[in-house]
Amino acid sequence: MSSVQDTIFDIIAKESGIDRAKITPDATLKDLEIQSLDAVQILFEIEDHFKITMPDRDPNFDTESVKGLIETVEKLVAEQAAKPTAA
Amino acid sequence: MHRVVITGMGAVTPLGHTAAATWNALREGRSAIGPITTLPRDALRFGIAAEVRDFDPLRHFDEKRLILLDRVSQLALVAAREAIAQSGIDFARDGLGDNTAVVIGTGIGGENTNDEASRRMYGENNPRLHPLTIVRLMANAPACQVSIEHRLHGPAFATVSACASSNHAIAQAFHMVRSGVADAAVTGGTEACLTLGAVRAWEAMRVLADDTCRPFCKQRRGLVLGEGAAVFVLETLERAQERGAMILAELAGAGMSADAGDIVFPSEAGAAMAMRRALAEGGLAPDAIDYINAHGTGTPANDPTESRAIRRTFGTHADAIAVSSTKSMHGHALGAAGAIELVATIGALCDGVIPPTANFLDPDPECDLDYVPNTAREKPVRAALSNSFAFGGLNAVLALRRAP
Repeated sequence: MSSVQDTIFDIIAKESGIDRAKITPDATLKDLEIQSLDAVQILFEIEDHFKITMPDRDPNFDTESVKGLIETVEKLVAEQAAKPTAA
Repeated sequence: MHRVVITGMGAVTPLGHTAAATWNALREGRSAIGPITTLPRDALRFGIAAEVRDFDPLRHFDEKRLILLDRVSQLALVAAREAIAQSGIDFARDGLGDNTAVVIGTGIGGENTNDEASRRMYGENNPRLHPLTIVRLMANAPACQVSIEHRLHGPAFATVSACASSNHAIAQAFHMVRSGVADAAVTGGTEACLTLGAVRAWEAMRVLADDTCRPFCKQRRGLVLGEGAAVFVLETLERAQERGAMILAELAGAGMSADAGDIVFPSEAGAAMAMRRALAEGGLAPDAIDYINAHGTGTPANDPTESRAIRRTFGTHADAIAVSSTKSMHGHALGAAGAIELVATIGALCDGVIPPTANFLDPDPECDLDYVPNTAREKPVRAALSNSFAFGGLNAVLALRRAP
C-alpha cells in the first residue's frame, strides 16, 4: 500500500466513522455510504494534509472513488514537487 | 385577527437599486450573475457571484452616519426608505410609529466589518480594532438602524435562520400586525456576504456552481452567491383602505417548520409541512395557487426535493402551477433571499407576469414541474407562495393573495 493510499484510507475512516477494513480502492464514497457532508470533510482533510487543492467536479478527475482520490492526490503532489521553488 | 396588506416595497439588488428596477430585470429574464469584481479572483475557485454594483453609500449617507453602518445595514436602510416612501405612510401621525415593528432578517450580519477586523488583527498584526466594530457587525444592526432612522418604537429585532432569515422575519412581522401586537411593520431581509472569507467557506462546502445558476435543469451545478436587501411596509387592510393607500398585495399566511433531521440535506416532508401551514393560515385552497417562487437554489439536492414537496402538497394541481426560481437572476442572497423573492412574487401578483427561471437548458426527469424556462409568461396570478428553506432544516413559506 502506497503511503498516499494509507493516508487516504486513514482520513476516510476517521471522517466517516466507517471500519477501515471496509475501504477498498474500487469503492466509491457512495458505495461506502458516506454522506455528502462527510465527503466534503474528507476532501478538506486530504487538501489540508497534502497542501493541495482538490478539483471540484472537474471531468478530468475522478474524486468519487477511493482509487480516483488516490490517483488525483498522487498527481497533484507530483505536480507540486515538480514546481520550481523560489530561489 | 386583522387582514394584513403590503403597501410599500423597496430593494437594492444585483438587478437594480430599486424594487421597480429589480422587477423590470426579473420580468425581462436578465441575469446579474458575473465575475466577482470586488475580490481577487485568483484567490477564488470559480469567482462568480451576483453583486450589487455601483452602490455608492455616500449618495445615501453622510460620512458621520456611514461610520456606523456596515454594507448590510446600508442596503437595508436604502431599501426601507424606498418602501416607506412608496407606502406614503406617516409614522408621526396619530402615534403610529409608537407601535410599528421592525423585523429585518440576515443570515450573517456585518460580514464586511468582521472581515476587516480580522484582516487588521491577524493579517497586519494590528491589535487596535475600530471602536464601532461591534455596532456595525451585530446581526440586529440593520433592524436597529431602520428603527432609529424612522423613529419606530414597536418591537424591533433580527431573525437569523440562514437562507430562511427573510421569510422568518416577514412571518414574525406579519403575525404581529395580524394579531394586533403591532399596528404596522417594516420588515424584510438584507445580506452583504461577499467577502473573501465567506466565499472561500462556501467554496469549501462544494455547493457553488462554476458556470452560472441553473435551477431545476439537468445541467445545474450548484448555487451562485448574491447580496442585497428588500424591505416592505405591512399594515392592516382597514388602515390601508382608510388612508387610501395603494395596496400591492395581501400577505395571507406564513408557514414555518423545522426538519429536525439533517443539518444540510433538505427534507421533502419538512418543506411540504411549511407550505401546507402557509396555505392553511392564509385560508387558501391548494388550487387557488397559480405561482410559486421556489427556493430553487440550483444545487443537486434542493431542486428535486423541493419539486417533490410541491407535488406532495398540491397533488395534481402541481402541474397547473407556474414554479420559477429567480435565484437564476439575482443569485442566492442568503438571509436576503426571501425578501428579494417577495419583490418577484408581488410583481407576479400585480402584473400577471411570471418571472422566468433563467439559464435553463434541458429538463431533469427528477424535476417535473412547470419551471417557466428563460422567458417570462403572462398569466393571471390569484395567489402565490414564496418558499425559503435553510441549512439547519429550517423552512419558511409566505402565502400571498392579489390585492383586495
